[in-house]
Amino acid sequence: MSVAEAEAAELSLEDQSGLWRDAFERLRRNPGAIAGALIIVAFAAVAVFAPALAPHGPNQQVGRLAAVPPGPSAEFPLGLDQQGRDVLSRIIFGARLSLLVGVVSAGVGLTIGMVLGSVAGYFGRWVDTAVMRTMDLMLAVPQFLLALAIVTALGPGLVQIMVAVGIANVPQFARLLRGSILAQREADYVLAARSLGAPGRRLLLAHILPNSIAPVIVQGTLAMATAIIDVAGLSFLGLGPADPRLTEWGKMVAENAGRLESAPHLVLFPGFAIVISVLGLNLIGDGLREALDPKLKS
Amino acid sequence: MALLRVEDLAVRFETRKATIHAVNGISFELEQGETLGIVGESGCGKSVSSLALLGILPKNGRVTSGSVRFGGRELLELSDAQMREVRGRDIAMIFQDPMTSLNPVLPIRVQIAEALRKHLRMNDDQAREEAVRLLQRVGIPAARERVDDYPHQFSGGMRQRVMIAMAISCRPKVLIADEPTTALDVTIQAQILEVLRQLVAEERMALVLITHDLGVVAGLCERTHVMYAGRFIETGTTSDLFARPRHPYTLGLLKSVPRLDAARKERLEPIQGVPRDLRSLGEGCAFAPRCLYATDRSWEETPPLRDVAPGHRVACWNPVPDADLPDRGAPEGEAG
Repeated sequence: MSVAEAEAAELSLEDQSGLWRDAFERLRRNPGAIAGALIIVAFAAVAVFAPALAPHGPNQQVGRLAAVPPGPSAEFPLGLDQQGRDVLSRIIFGARLSLLVGVVSAGVGLTIGMVLGSVAGYFGRWVDTAVMRTMDLMLAVPQFLLALAIVTALGPGLVQIMVAVGIANVPQFARLLRGSILAQREADYVLAARSLGAPGRRLLLAHILPNSIAPVIVQGTLAMATAIIDVAGLSFLGLGPADPRLTEWGKMVAENAGRLESAPHLVLFPGFAIVISVLGLNLIGDGLREALDPKLKS
Repeated sequence: MALLRVEDLAVRFETRKATIHAVNGISFELEQGETLGIVGESGCGKSVSSLALLGILPKNGRVTSGSVRFGGRELLELSDAQMREVRGRDIAMIFQDPMTSLNPVLPIRVQIAEALRKHLRMNDDQAREEAVRLLQRVGIPAARERVDDYPHQFSGGMRQRVMIAMAISCRPKVLIADEPTTALDVTIQAQILEVLRQLVAEERMALVLITHDLGVVAGLCERTHVMYAGRFIETGTTSDLFARPRHPYTLGLLKSVPRLDAARKERLEPIQGVPRDLRSLGEGCAFAPRCLYATDRSWEETPPLRDVAPGHRVACWNPVPDADLPDRGAPEGEAG
């Protein structure tokens, strides 16, 4: 038993860490992921503490109505819009909606996609064929166009937009998870669990899914980014939240697109906000992809 | 009455191109506390037979005939749910590769508890205590501290011990070990075999040891079955098989293994040819194309297992004569 003891002693010197902690360690060593995480934390903080951070209310008229509103100044760092509202405050409050949109849309897509993907991947045969051909059909239509069609059918509105973008995301998630499950389904540890009498439901939920989920999580962060862009795009096309009091970055860009030359700050600053938040999500997504890559697991 | 009685078990795989005749009618019996060896080269149907016993063949595999009786019940007729009750509780299995047979995202405690919770209805605390006890049982030091560790924190030999702990958690009456030492290096192999040997002795478990390693059977098994192309071609006590192999294939296997007590210049003799293609098994002895002793009859008629000595059966029309046997006794157990 001395060999075993030596082995144990050697192992106890190593950091006692779990799989997810290993992934976290790798994530921490990735500067891109750190930058992304900082951006997203800042983004979330701005959204949560918007009332405290914003110098003015999002719909509060702090300047005069003006056909050509004033640009950045010491008093209003990002300028005013033509109704005399503070652009900085509007962007800060807009973060709430964008965050909500990103989380809800990606969540809707992730949830439905995961259910469909696991059912297809685990049961196989005709279930797989039926689900995956439907997904192929949805994938044949460009994602944005699909969201556009769904929101047209549902009618304009915030909830409708989030659901539409979410549904348009379903095929990606379903496909990804199905492939991942197919790869894991025949794994040795699944066979070992079967040999101990584990029922199918437990095989899927406790053994196969946790091993298949990493790429889906990565896709989730990337889907949040595209959801923000898609919702901004749909808002831009006038399908956004009908309530004029709701501040949304895409809508801000859309409303002022025609003033790009006379008052560029109305378009550029909300545009920057979109770009930066999406960049942050993409950086995190890429970092996660590397951290969770099974090929890198020792 | 035998604890486990397998009769004429046959397994086929349907692939898009052909039907694979993986197992073609094997029969054996297992008594309580007995250790049985099944030896053969890769792809001869060893592993498939054990998966078939547990009813966990891949989707395209099917048991086409035969009977598996365990404790008076016919396992092949049980429903899925009934079969799940047998797996892990009555019959359990240890797999070849401990590196891939443990779930990487679950602590080993959860994996050992799998069968305990299902079959013995233990709660979390009980299962945890039992897991610690089992880990101590299979010789994992500091079991209490390590029970929450993940598989990647264990070495290969330690993982195989964890696999054994999982398999014996509900004290199954039959333990099937499918190449339990193949993926491990030699020093660790001996340790793992020792763990198995102790378990069999102390728990009165019956052990089916599946391996391609003659040294492993020599050290552990009372009786051995030699398998080729999905059939048993020679069965007998391990010492008989080593001392007087009657089937040319068994003889070939023995000659292809180096021996410590061999004269210095003795050459290893590989078996000529390649294993049989299991898609096209017709009549005739499957080994005939590679056999020095093949007769006309070998090509035309499949030889059945026949007694050549008490307890020693061979499926061969032209068994190896005494004169051709190398001068060798049963080797010392290499496993001990």
